Amino acid sequence: MKRFASDVKKYWNYMLYEAKSQLKAEVANSYLNWIWWILEPLLLMMVYAFVFGFLFKHKEENYNVFIFIALALWDNFNRCIKASVTIVKRNKSIVSKVYLPKYALIISNMMVNTFKMFICLLIVFGMLIVNRISIDWHILEIVPIIANALLFTFGCCCILAHMGVFIEDMSNVINIVLRFMFYLTGIFYNIGTSIPKPYSTILLSCNPIALFIDSLRNCMLEKMSPNWILMLIWFVIGLGVSAYGVYTIYRYENTYVKVI
Amino acid sequence: MSEVSITVQDVTIRYKSVKSYSIKRNLLRLKPVESKNFEAVKNVSFTVNKGEILGVIGKNGSGKSTLLRALANIFSADEGNIDLHGNSISLLAIGVGFKNQLTGRENIMLSGMLLGFREKEVLSHMDEIIEFSELGEFIDQPVRTYSSGMYSKLAFSVTAILETDIMLIDEVLSVGDEHFKKKSYAKMKELITNNDRTVVIVSHSLDTLEKLCNRVLWLNDGEIKEIGPSKEIIKKYREFMK
Repeated sequence: MKRFASDVKKYWNYMLYEAKSQLKAEVANSYLNWIWWILEPLLLMMVYAFVFGFLFKHKEENYNVFIFIALALWDNFNRCIKASVTIVKRNKSIVSKVYLPKYALIISNMMVNTFKMFICLLIVFGMLIVNRISIDWHILEIVPIIANALLFTFGCCCILAHMGVFIEDMSNVINIVLRFMFYLTGIFYNIGTSIPKPYSTILLSCNPIALFIDSLRNCMLEKMSPNWILMLIWFVIGLGVSAYGVYTIYRYENTYVKVI
Repeated sequence: MSEVSITVQDVTIRYKSVKSYSIKRNLLRLKPVESKNFEAVKNVSFTVNKGEILGVIGKNGSGKSTLLRALANIFSADEGNIDLHGNSISLLAIGVGFKNQLTGRENIMLSGMLLGFREKEVLSHMDEIIEFSELGEFIDQPVRTYSSGMYSKLAFSVTAILETDIMLIDEVLSVGDEHFKKKSYAKMKELITNNDRTVVIVSHSLDTLEKLCNRVLWLNDGEIKEIGPSKEIIKKYREFMK
């Protein structure tokens, strides 16, 4: 734990700089590239709104904002997880030449994706204004929800980064798992109203991402507080997963180079 | 001079069971994977004093680079201990973490921080690095536009100017055109012969080692064959290799 704190402090600047330069590198080729950070989720949202809102006649108030909130959080989770599975291998040139705690790679990658998520959230605020949806102090509750989501994501990423080193076809499996999760997370439908009672409760308490997304929607659209007990439980689980992930990485990271 | 800066005790490094695993492969095959045990370094012990220059020789695959990487903490020893007595250490590696899209200046920053330096420390050496690299105004151009010579000049300058207490060198480096080659070799020599710096060099160039090193460690199939004054050992090694 102590070691984690001192390492994070030591490598914080590097992680930040690495994240910044990653973003910069994305923009470097053309000055319009950053527009894709906005366009991609926006267009995806339109696709979902068209397919599910128009073709399937899904009835949900402010359906576009409803989808967009979910996409912002889901994309962040999805990208972080996918990247972390191969992160050690992709950074072979660094890993085989200097020592750095391997989760530093994960954190800087998360910074990049979180930055993009914040852009999406800004768009959400813009949409709230355009759609004339009133907000109140409940909006502040998105901060702990997002922090909670990030913690859980970090933990998962650490463990998957570790497994990804030793298991070659991990990314194939993860893609399927993520797709399955995507449909169970209620990106384009409301779990609470679309799924019959006992199952929806189970889903919302057992799938943390679904819970986080549902809570975010409640805060922003319905002016409702999240279920703090469930939040607390998932916070503790997130903490546990992260601690276990960091511990595993510390324990095995020195053998990674031998495998890749 | 008698202060010890590296202590290596009974170090053994294995490449074995850590073979990567594939779900598909294991579903399709019923036989368990045979794990092969390969000891790259066996029971190696030695100490290096502060300011000393130790050369490491041996034929290909005798575990030289493995030993060096273990010293740099890139991977750990399976058995035994490596104690650096609190010194900072770096494996002289060229262009760590370079990103092609970024400018030379940004890459210096990134690479420097990756080598464990603070932002301020890198900044304070920035001008020196840029001057040494002779890149001039190209420093603010993206690295992908560099010629390969310019690239290695920059990479060399980063590692050469940012110094650590212990330096590990895998093959003596000299890069660039004739002029820069001489300059980098001279810089290298200056770095190596600094009395405060402990250096471990792996090289196949026996002449260089003979000139630079105080002592030489001869590895053969992962074991220490001999360690001692450079002239003596190198002479024996030459005979052995004939």
